[in-house]
Amino acid sequence: MNPSSVAAVFFFEWRRAFTLARMGWWLALALFPVLIISMIRIALRGEYMPREAWTLMLFTLIPMLVSMLGTFLWATPVVSAELERKSWVYLAVRPHGTTHVLLGKYLVALTWALSAALVGLCAAVAIIPDGDGLQIGGTIARITMLSCPAYAALYLLLGTLFPKRSMVTAVAYTLIFELIISFVPALINTFTVQYRIRTLVFLWGDMTTDPEMNSLLTFIGEPPAWEHVAVLVAYTLVLLAAAVGVVRGREFSNTEESEG
Amino acid sequence: MIELSHVTKLYGTVIGVNDMTLALPAGAYGLLGPNGSGKSTLLNLLTGQLRPTIGSVRVFGESPKNNVDLFRRLGYCPGSEGLYANVSAYEWVRYLCQMQGMKSSVAATAAHEALITVGMNEAMQRPIASYSRGMRQRVKLAQAIAHDPDFLILDEPFNGLDPIGRHDMGVLLKNWIAAGKSLLLASHLLYEVESITDSFLLISGGRLLASGTAAEVHALLVDVPNEITIRTSDPRRLAGVLLEHEITDSLRIDHNQLVVSTRHPGKLYQQLPGWLAETGIAVGEMHSADESLQALFNSLLKIHRGELA
Repeated sequence: MNPSSVAAVFFFEWRRAFTLARMGWWLALALFPVLIISMIRIALRGEYMPREAWTLMLFTLIPMLVSMLGTFLWATPVVSAELERKSWVYLAVRPHGTTHVLLGKYLVALTWALSAALVGLCAAVAIIPDGDGLQIGGTIARITMLSCPAYAALYLLLGTLFPKRSMVTAVAYTLIFELIISFVPALINTFTVQYRIRTLVFLWGDMTTDPEMNSLLTFIGEPPAWEHVAVLVAYTLVLLAAAVGVVRGREFSNTEESEG
Repeated sequence: MIELSHVTKLYGTVIGVNDMTLALPAGAYGLLGPNGSGKSTLLNLLTGQLRPTIGSVRVFGESPKNNVDLFRRLGYCPGSEGLYANVSAYEWVRYLCQMQGMKSSVAATAAHEALITVGMNEAMQRPIASYSRGMRQRVKLAQAIAHDPDFLILDEPFNGLDPIGRHDMGVLLKNWIAAGKSLLLASHLLYEVESITDSFLLISGGRLLASGTAAEVHALLVDVPNEITIRTSDPRRLAGVLLEHEITDSLRIDHNQLVVSTRHPGKLYQQLPGWLAETGIAVGEMHSADESLQALFNSLLKIHRGELA
């Protein structure tokens, strides 16, 4: 592993990513939470909304929606875009090729999504009333910094496993596992990112977990929080290692479809 | 340099390369074959992008799959374009040099020199989207040679080049060979390869039909009839003369042309002027396609298909 080659990929891809379309997406992602929070405030007409409700609202908007969508858009097509453009071959025959490219692009996807999420969070927190914003913002920021790397690694792996249908596969996986199975109170939901970050928002957000008070209790994990953090970090590293393993072991050549 | 041992590559039930065994020392070789013959599959096996289904591939004595040491010695210019539209040639080649493990400043120098070598002095800072096909081809070559590899593999490098570009590319490749470096040049156009090297591999249907110099392959074809086309005002009469001297294997009259197939072309060339003088038959043009590599290629394909003994 050569960090300078990963850095070279990172800067090259950042430079390439400065297109109007991509910047438009970044802006849309960053502004979306602000738009929703503003609409809620307008709808409330000055009525009180408890801190837990704002926390859950921001959790849904930032670590769930923006993180998921941002990393989905940038990390999933990492390999498929190169294959479709037929530029993968130039990278595959380099000593510091595929692995470094994958990790460099992962960092690009992570920084694009994380920056959009954190900028969106800062703007949204600024318009939350009653001075709870900073506390809520701190909680959500910590969770975002765990969810973005995990989702980026997850989508990166899906993109390397299914390069021909990467986006469709990632959408299907998200809908089935992250948005449905993560709510199934069984062992399988503990393998989802959603389950872990949902647990953390309850633990770090000092939200009550009394079954009579909160129907979500059956869908969240037990303390301690560090265990969920450790699982998310390990999950990220394992997924990244798996993606690297797939890229190194797999044949991505499309010679069969070519003329020669 | 290259060792293939009973290499077969299957894509499901489709055969890309079929039981190919080959050992090539360092040098310059042309890889010839029609479209779909397995050239690109073979190149992908040599560059480690594909693994053989059966058999083994060695380049410089090593398996090419994920082989960092080998990739340092290898320059590859694929047939597909695959360039980024919104970066300049300089940025792209520098980036790929960094993927070779070069430091940024060294990569910048290497990219600059390689682009100058391929004649991209003026345009190297422009976005690739603004390049002509020929310029893109030059950029592709630049990325392959920028890290000064020992072995250069080129897949259809003349595609899209204008006559001047072809000439320049030819000169560059001849200089490459003259510098003692190795080259494998894949093409479906024989004259392109002939102009660079006379050692070649001929493949079709994933099989190696022949390898060696043009002379060596000619030796394989000693019993194969050569085809000679004679343009004359009286092809029927000339056909009669040739039949009378029993020098042809077959004859075909095509308008004012007589197409002769013979196993004794030398004898025919030697005696034909005399027969023409005796009979007063005028010949406007005579040529033999079999003097080029194209003829060898066609004949080998016919042998492979069982059309010739």
